[in-house]
Amino acid sequence: MATAVKETGDTGIMANKEARQQWLAEQTAKSKEKQVSFINSISSKLGRARPTAAPAHPFRGAPDFWREFEWPIDERAEKFMENFRAVGGHSLRLGSMEEAKQFIVDKAAEMSAKYIIRQNQPELAEMDLEFALSEAKVSVWNSDPEEQWKARAAEADFGVVVVDHAAAYTGSLTVLSSKDKGRSVSLLPTVLMAIIPIERLRTRLGEVLVEFDRAGREQLPAGIHFISGPSRSADIENDLTIGVHGPGVVYAIIVG
Amino acid sequence: MSGATQTNLGTVKERAGLALNNDFLRKAVKFTTERLRTGKEKAAADHGNWDEWRERGRQIRLHTIAHLDYYLNLFVENARANGVHIHFAETAAEAVEISLAIAKQVEARTVVKSKSMVTEELHLNHALESIDVEAIETDLGEYIIQLAGEAPSHIIIPAIHKNRYQIAELLSADAGETLAPDTQILAGFVRRKLREKFLEADIGMTGCNFAIAETGSMVLFENEGNARMVSTVPKTQITLMGMERIIPSFEDLEVMATLLPRSATGQKLTVYMSGISGPRREVDADGPDEMHIIIVDNGRSLQLGDPEFQELLNCIRCGACLNACPVYRHIGGHAYGGTYSGPIGAVLTPALKKNIAEWDDIANASSLCGACYEACPVKIPLHEMLVYLRRRKLEAGRGDKLEAIGMKGFAAVMKNSKRFGAVLKIGKLGQKLVVRDGGIRSKIGPLKGWNSYRVTPSLPSESFREKWPTMEQEIRHGLQEMDPAVKSRMEAIVRERQSGGNGGKGNGGHGHHG
Ligand code: SF4
Repeated sequence: MATAVKETGDTGIMANKEARQQWLAEQTAKSKEKQVSFINSISSKLGRARPTAAPAHPFRGAPDFWREFEWPIDERAEKFMENFRAVGGHSLRLGSMEEAKQFIVDKAAEMSAKYIIRQNQPELAEMDLEFALSEAKVSVWNSDPEEQWKARAAEADFGVVVVDHAAAYTGSLTVLSSKDKGRSVSLLPTVLMAIIPIERLRTRLGEVLVEFDRAGREQLPAGIHFISGPSRSADIENDLTIGVHGPGVVYAIIVG
Repeated sequence: MSGATQTNLGTVKERAGLALNNDFLRKAVKFTTERLRTGKEKAAADHGNWDEWRERGRQIRLHTIAHLDYYLNLFVENARANGVHIHFAETAAEAVEISLAIAKQVEARTVVKSKSMVTEELHLNHALESIDVEAIETDLGEYIIQLAGEAPSHIIIPAIHKNRYQIAELLSADAGETLAPDTQILAGFVRRKLREKFLEADIGMTGCNFAIAETGSMVLFENEGNARMVSTVPKTQITLMGMERIIPSFEDLEVMATLLPRSATGQKLTVYMSGISGPRREVDADGPDEMHIIIVDNGRSLQLGDPEFQELLNCIRCGACLNACPVYRHIGGHAYGGTYSGPIGAVLTPALKKNIAEWDDIANASSLCGACYEACPVKIPLHEMLVYLRRRKLEAGRGDKLEAIGMKGFAAVMKNSKRFGAVLKIGKLGQKLVVRDGGIRSKIGPLKGWNSYRVTPSLPSESFREKWPTMEQEIRHGLQEMDPAVKSRMEAIVRERQSGGNGGKGNGGHGHHG
């Protein structure tokens, strides 16, 4: 009986899925057709034929004077921390991953964090927070296909990530999504602990952005996120509120 | 399986609800907030060579719009290659139709939205309700307004007209328990409440600040994190995008990222800037399974090839022109109906509809001062466009007498700095609406969705006034007083506000009205 119900259910879903795929295929066909008239109408309003080759773009990217600009590494770290603090984030520079680990462990104890989620990154695996924080429940992103990962991240007190890039001038972290790096880990927990290996810290935002042009579309992850401080709002009486949707406390830890 | 999915969803919500440690956030955040309140936030506008950046921004926008057919097509091809379903909508009605069709396909019950000007342009919430889909605004201020059943189109700053006691009352009713009128507690409640909504929603709906042609990525700027939520948690993402949002590359995004937040809120960068390139990859454990981008024309292409108005499409919706406009600052913009207000709205609203009759007193006022142009990060000559608009209107024989007088009234007043005092006096009516601590908040028109404010009290410069062509000078000649019709319209705004701040609202339903 139970099996019968299940089978019917599955067939229903299959049929549903098929109908859905068909609908999407129809939409795509419709969209491609419309694309021609939509784009052609732009060309005709612009009063010329549609260009087939890329037009020369002499003003691409930042002005020239800006491209030269770079802070030496120590100043870069200083400026990053200064900017990050100015928007309500916390930032510090430590000598080694071991120190970073100790910092996170101490903070977890101080704030009595009970749920911790971390990205499935080798640097973090090496830290073995799972062992060091035996009091808390430490989950590793996407390490079990059965788990509800978004819920794990939503309940977490701490999210721990190693960032992919950082830019000092705007005080920004950059995190990229992948199988092992959830977008939720830097978004849903109350506190974000972000580790910045110092060699990933650049001066300008453009130094990070240009990498995505270089990599090209096919290499891009689904989500690229720049994070510059704790989530904030001023919607109630124009009073600054921290942690409305994203993490209310963000530690940017420069290592090296 | 569909039953199982529902159980899972229930479980997700249940678990998240159970495990969210409410006190934790409050304690953790207290320290930060206090530090920020007492400490001075670092000034953000200390960025050098501002004019060079503006010029660069202008050039990038000019170039992209001049080749919009090429870049939009490139974007579409690349986004499709990323797995995005692209739709084209020539009109608002078409965009709504497509959104509803997607909602029906995924059997959506709830949609979580992050603030977007385009969805407001389309009045999408209303349409979603008509097919029994709940549309939830997730910006803190917008959520409060939605609870109050008020119409965003009548609100300057979504919730600034409500003090925290009123907000506490609204949210307490929502919570079913009494919440203290403390900003952090109230925001904390909304955080928990909306988290459940994010986790159970079927569709996340966003706007789009920029779309990168070469990679097919869409870019969102925000401070709260709700746009990230909306584009990370639900299974289906729908993004509504004005057809002109394109820039060629990520490199060009650096220029936009330099100009937009600084012009909008004085931030070096918004807290979040996200580039999303398609639905989640097969192996990813979050991000939407399905992603749709609806490319909306709705009057935009009418500006293409029009030498006087094509530059309107360069607008990056920062709202700096609103804050710069001295008249706007004093009378506020909410009474002017359209989605877009202030100087940009004054030009864009009639332009999008190709209906020059749709302009208002602001247009008259703004046309006499170049503050909007000076403030604009992509140097759109709004002040000149206002004159073109005016000229076209007169040519079309629509410049009825009353409006002509209205223009003269503002012209006369603005021309003479002594009389500017009179404007300020009349403006005091407006001050009741918008101004606290001498500055206007930024949740206005294009600024909705930005969270802090900027005060830019730049008065029209002498040289600027002298630049106006003869027609303007003729119109300016004569009137000494503010036109009574204009004045009475302003007074009506104040009365409306004072009678409870919800004049013009519908029958208390959720979502956008008119
Ligand atoms: S027109 Fe106004 S909103 Fe648009 S970019 Fe210029 S200043 Fe910003």
